[in-house]
Amino acid sequence: MRRRAGLGAIQKHKLEQEKYKDKGNEIQENQLEQMTRQMEVFKVNLEEFATKHKNEIRKNPEFRRQFQEMCASIGVDPLSSGKGFWSVLGIGDFYYELAVQIVEVCLATNYKTGGLISLNELRTRLIKARGKGKQHQEITQDDLIRAAQKLKIFGSGFMVVPVGKGQYMVQSIPGELSMDHTAVLQQVTHSNQAFVSVGYLRRELGWEEGRAKKALDHMVDQGLAWLDLQNPSEKLYYFPSLFNACINSSN
Amino acid sequence: MSETEVEWPWQYAFPPFFTLQPHPETRSKQVSAWKSLILEYCQKNKLFIIDVREAHQLPLFHNSAINRKLDPTVVVSILSELSKSGNAGALDKAKHRWEIYWHTLEEWAAMIYDHVCDNGMQNSVLTLFELSQGEDVQDKEFAGIHTDVLIKALRVLEGERKCELILSDEEQGVKFF
Repeated sequence: MRRRAGLGAIQKHKLEQEKYKDKGNEIQENQLEQMTRQMEVFKVNLEEFATKHKNEIRKNPEFRRQFQEMCASIGVDPLSSGKGFWSVLGIGDFYYELAVQIVEVCLATNYKTGGLISLNELRTRLIKARGKGKQHQEITQDDLIRAAQKLKIFGSGFMVVPVGKGQYMVQSIPGELSMDHTAVLQQVTHSNQAFVSVGYLRRELGWEEGRAKKALDHMVDQGLAWLDLQNPSEKLYYFPSLFNACINSSN
Repeated sequence: MSETEVEWPWQYAFPPFFTLQPHPETRSKQVSAWKSLILEYCQKNKLFIIDVREAHQLPLFHNSAINRKLDPTVVVSILSELSKSGNAGALDKAKHRWEIYWHTLEEWAAMIYDHVCDNGMQNSVLTLFELSQGEDVQDKEFAGIHTDVLIKALRVLEGERKCELILSDEEQGVKFF
């Protein structure tokens, strides 16, 4: 049977379409409303949770990390919310305080390391500087990375540079480190010695001589590396920030 | 000369410390570390004179453990830096021989004059030997001071009219006022 094809049929079809659309919108709105409500509830719960466990959050690093992750999942950044509820919590304060201490440690070691410090070393020094008065708050690498990342707002002066295998270095002098420079730092970190050479980078990374030389010379120009011309086979580039005797010295 | 144990700074074990650094900022850190190390080393070892030509015989400029030496021209440039603050002085035009003043001549002069005043020896004559090796000075910082350095310090006092040097072939002495 052939379908009717008349004005009435077209109008009817149009009407149906509109009804579907309305229904669709309605459902969507419902869902959005529900979601919004759920999020609100979740946020309120999170806030309650945070207030209730404030001390726990400040004291227990594992708790702190999980709390941060929870916040991140709903798009709340307790560090950047300085106003209202979150400021009462003092979660932000905890990280601000850390950030300030990170800057202090970096400034205190800059003159010998040239502005580069491994996160481990930073942590050791920072914990030592905090002393025991702070109710033995345990500071983890994760806390330090979060706090140090907040320092980015001051421009390129502070950067957390991942050097692989869960290790990080914190750069506290202006000047961008490119991928190549980061790769050099990775090599130095994992070579278990405080130096590399053009030859070493060619072997390990398969770089052209020019590329290796350019990267290393740049790091000398940044004050991050020292040149040793007395090695019999080739020039060595030393990094005081990764030289144990330098790291361990108190002055 | 007997070696006194020097507490070497970390840089002493850092091989590039013995290569003059090309980067100006790094170099200035390096030079200032060398300056303090030289003064500390000389003070601990009561070393008043360094001959740059023999510098490598001193562990100061030659760390045999890591097989690194500081080039004599670099030694000269660091000593020249030290001379700017009155902590060193070249003894010849070629800058081979240097006196090292871990206390500046003015500081030595003040110490000696304090000692003289404390013991009421104004208006008396002392031999240079008494001043540097005498029994009453054994516990003094300037005990064992090199005669040439002592004379230079006394010249400072002479300029302030606090003493007069008597230097003849037979005896070397000083009269304090």
